[in-house]
Amino acid sequence: MSSISELYDVCWEEMRDKLRKWREENYRNSEQIVDVGEELINEHASKLGDDVWIIYEQVMIAALDCSRDDLAWSCLQELKRQFPDSHRVKRLAGMRLEALERYEDANKLYDSILQDDPTNTAARKRKISILQAQGKSSEAIRELNEYLEQFVGDQEAWHELSELYINEHDYAKAAFCLEELMMTNPHNHLYCEQYAEVKYTQGGLENLELARKYFAQALKLNNRNMRALFGLYMSASHIAASPKVSAKVKKDNVKYAAWATSQISRAYQVRGCLPTSVGLHTIQVTFWPRLMSSNNCSN
Amino acid sequence: MLEDDSGVTKKRTLPLSSLSVSFRSHEMGEVELSCLAYAKMYLHASQFPRCSVNGLLLSSSPAGGAVCITDCVPLLHTHLSLAPITQLALTQVDAWCSQTHQRIMGYYQANACVSDSSPTPCALKIAEKIFEQCNNAVLLMIDGEKMFPGCRVPPIVMYERKDARWALKDKHTIMLRQWEETCSIVNQLFSSGDQALLVDFDSHLDDITKDWTNQKLNAKIMELVSPANGNV
Repeated sequence: MSSISELYDVCWEEMRDKLRKWREENYRNSEQIVDVGEELINEHASKLGDDVWIIYEQVMIAALDCSRDDLAWSCLQELKRQFPDSHRVKRLAGMRLEALERYEDANKLYDSILQDDPTNTAARKRKISILQAQGKSSEAIRELNEYLEQFVGDQEAWHELSELYINEHDYAKAAFCLEELMMTNPHNHLYCEQYAEVKYTQGGLENLELARKYFAQALKLNNRNMRALFGLYMSASHIAASPKVSAKVKKDNVKYAAWATSQISRAYQVRGCLPTSVGLHTIQVTFWPRLMSSNNCSN
Repeated sequence: MLEDDSGVTKKRTLPLSSLSVSFRSHEMGEVELSCLAYAKMYLHASQFPRCSVNGLLLSSSPAGGAVCITDCVPLLHTHLSLAPITQLALTQVDAWCSQTHQRIMGYYQANACVSDSSPTPCALKIAEKIFEQCNNAVLLMIDGEKMFPGCRVPPIVMYERKDARWALKDKHTIMLRQWEETCSIVNQLFSSGDQALLVDFDSHLDDITKDWTNQKLNAKIMELVSPANGNV
């Protein structure tokens, strides 16, 4: 089997830089990280200088993701040797136990970290991940709420909590989490768009109007967000079709929907592909009416 | 009908004179699952091992005849329980089905949590909607624990509508033609790297140049299924 450097004609510096990019942008392309990282470690460890340790950590986590316990174990040994008393390395050992589904042992390890250092956020988050892995969603939600009371600025945790609430169909609480995220990240179009989707799902005229506004906001921040564009079309169409709205509101929403339609058609034409449905006028939004919303427009 | 020790009833290709046997079979509530549908579902679940995924099951056979799932459309791998994209996908797939003489007759889902393959409230809701339009609709859950190479049992659990609830379908009424050949086709897709061709509706929204009807992948799979490859 040829090496990565042969297959892709790259030198070790490019491989190291690629790993750094994936690390900094938090990509979870574990199979690629394992392929590139394993070769880098095996062939070029001596050239990496102090970078080698963070690469061991990155490759170890990716190896766990790909069930490569052999590779994870050898990375862990190198890190243990270099940093014998490190909490950070202990947490990695805990993650390996999690991957082996030895949750009790993993929890013991994390508890020992927390005894030494009660502010260790990584260990607390791992304990919550174990609850999720075991399917204990309500406990995970409870623990995550407690965590956020102490560490109110942890974006990652707020987002994780919004995902948990969405899975539990607790849309109101999911919306609350997303509101926190939008406040601290006002330029992030993805949070706006997710918030709009949650509002749309909650249903009811007021929520649909909010949804439409936040889909529009997401588009303002990123005009290529297709979910926001379709979402704008669908929420405006639903509002226009509601018997409860005034003639003016109806007219305005018909206009918004028409604008969205033209933007969608243009997007497909510009990218050189036609939507595989016959045409947007056949998107009969009422055909699958109010799927999953608890209340609908006529309430 | 043959029964092997995996508990799945396999059907060999019948000679012409036995055609009448296969027409009678739909009265027993049998559902046939094609290689194409199975392969794409499996690929979808494999492409997103850390997420719950879902999709729609399609049939090109006429309503009222034998129930045959001939194809599937992979839908989402994020936020399965949020409405807008699901609604959008359902209407788009429905429109495409009327163009291509297919109908939506089922729903599949693979849960992120591998140890729990029971239908989620979201799965039941969507299956219910499909049942309103199609009275022999099925709900298929992929059993992640059985998705390992060499597993001799299809990793699926099927539910059908009985007495106003979704009841587990007797696995002896689920037909998978040429199960071993289907497994081998899936393996070939992985070794050739063609499994990466699979596009679901979510990926299409991330990049609209990607084709959620998977024409390219369908062609590759049908090539592997054809008699010319000795895979009859």
